[in-house]
Amino acid sequence: MMKSLFLSFLLGSNLFVNNFSEVQGRKWKGEGTTPNLESITIGRCYDYIRVVNPAVGEKNCSELWEAFRNAFINKDPCNILPQHFELFFKLSLHAIPTDKSLFWENNQLLVNSFSNRARRYMALGDTLFGFFGDFLNWCGQENSTGLDYESCPTAAECENNAVDAFWRMASMTYAQHSSGVIHVLLNGSAEGGAYPVKGFFADYEIPHLQRDKISQIDIWVVDDIEGPNTDSCGHNTVQILEDRLKTLGYSVTCTDNYKPVMFLLCLDNPDHSKCTLSSSAPAAQRGPISSDRGGSWNKLMFVSFVGFLFRSVLVY
Amino acid sequence: MPSQRGSARRRQRCVLLAGIAILLIALVLAAVLASVLTGSKEEANPEPLRWQGRGTTRNLREIVLGRCYSYLAEGHAELRDKDCLKIWESLKAAFVHKNPCNATTEDYRPLMELTSHPVPCNESLFWSRTYDLVHLYSKCNHHFLTLEDTFLGYMLDGLSWCGDPSAPGINYESCPKWSECERSSGSVFWKMASKMFAEAACGVVHVMLNGSIEAGAFRTSSVFGSVEIFNLNPDKVSEIRIWLMNDIGGPQSDSCSGYSIKKLRNILEERNFKITCEDNYRPVQLLQCVHNPDHPDCNLCISSTEAP
Repeated sequence: MMKSLFLSFLLGSNLFVNNFSEVQGRKWKGEGTTPNLESITIGRCYDYIRVVNPAVGEKNCSELWEAFRNAFINKDPCNILPQHFELFFKLSLHAIPTDKSLFWENNQLLVNSFSNRARRYMALGDTLFGFFGDFLNWCGQENSTGLDYESCPTAAECENNAVDAFWRMASMTYAQHSSGVIHVLLNGSAEGGAYPVKGFFADYEIPHLQRDKISQIDIWVVDDIEGPNTDSCGHNTVQILEDRLKTLGYSVTCTDNYKPVMFLLCLDNPDHSKCTLSSSAPAAQRGPISSDRGGSWNKLMFVSFVGFLFRSVLVY
Repeated sequence: MPSQRGSARRRQRCVLLAGIAILLIALVLAAVLASVLTGSKEEANPEPLRWQGRGTTRNLREIVLGRCYSYLAEGHAELRDKDCLKIWESLKAAFVHKNPCNATTEDYRPLMELTSHPVPCNESLFWSRTYDLVHLYSKCNHHFLTLEDTFLGYMLDGLSWCGDPSAPGINYESCPKWSECERSSGSVFWKMASKMFAEAACGVVHVMLNGSIEAGAFRTSSVFGSVEIFNLNPDKVSEIRIWLMNDIGGPQSDSCSGYSIKKLRNILEERNFKITCEDNYRPVQLLQCVHNPDHPDCNLCISSTEAP
């Protein structure tokens, strides 16, 4: 019995040691830096200036990468501040066309589809600096110039992590350079309300809007097609936002279920009652190359032909 | 004394003449040297061939590599072993230093082999003259894949490339338009990629055609009409569904019962395919309405309310 106890103790302590060393290998709880980050970001930079938006002009993409990298390498990954990215944003800055800014909360994929890669609107992800870092992850290490590909701190582990620092600076820069009519797309089905009172829009974008460059702020509150109507214009958090902006001196409008965005949401639920087009004909029949239009035309021809034949017979 | 002054003057004249002669010789030598040098420079860097289309996209390498790694970062298990540098080298080898009007499928075979991957059944989405709309749709609905959403298509969509026999072997000034030569780099590539995309299709496949084109929604001269339909495999493809889209507020030049669709049906039925056709497939029409919200065809039954 002593032997078995001893063996179980050995086994248990072995497992403990193994787990401990595994945890030691991964420093942080979040995913590591995106593999090939340098190639991806430099590629995106050139993609943007050559293909997506050549109007931006010439940029030195390698210089941009260096400025980006220097912001967070060889530093405590828990102490990266927006200012560290200042040079990167200075180098990547370009004009945002007036009336085309689109701010958002809790609906990133929808915004990406809606803005149509800067053709319709230019959301942050459609600018060079936003396009550069969108959907990527990165962090450095203290006392090393290498990127950490194993793990990166989550926001819960470090408030001042490299990714959040980048997006805070991006948000401030984007807001500072927006002008004309500003648009804000909010998710009326979001838990906690459409307008997060603590978030990128509230903390970094609104404070950096330039009042003398902005003519109006249009808020759109759109619910998920099958989602709850948690919030809407003139209510709850949206009311808080409207009041805040008006107090700051902006001219504000608010629209519930802004139609163009509704259409986008309807793609996945075309038969939902919210998605019925008042002008739509009865659903086109799916059949061997016949549509309603074609069918009724053929019927008319047939009837006319029979009528003609009949008449000819009568006359004869 | 007069004779001494005379000889001095003669000497001066000689020196002056000699000086002028040397200067002239030097000038002639310089001119000869210059023409020889520029002549050889021209030989080393002759002008690239001139075409009517836009030249090779600058920083093509960086863009292709970036897109390659980006696509892989999305985590497609079937692409785990793809080597982006090798892929770039095989693209380069396909066109650099070559005459861009004489491309062959053999040029691109290594690239095709390095980038091929299976496409899930029921997801292949073909298109003709609906570039913007079909890609907006496949971006929003991830159950559909156009060629430009596959690994290879994604890397090269919207880019331009062509070689030139003279150094450095890449023509950044211009590239042949498809109409300029039968076998341009671009057309050979995209036709080959389209052929492989069609060959890989299985289950129900869809095609989005443009009913607002006067020449007809289906044309035998298009890549769809000349390459893709002939490379779909009737043993793998159970049905072909056509979505015939008219522009919102645009002309209704064609429809499912129109002549060009009948022609398409004949070709496909001869190859034993089952075909269906739908005019203005609703989800795609909703997408069109995003960009034409105020058109009468886009009136939602539930109207929006505006607060002051």
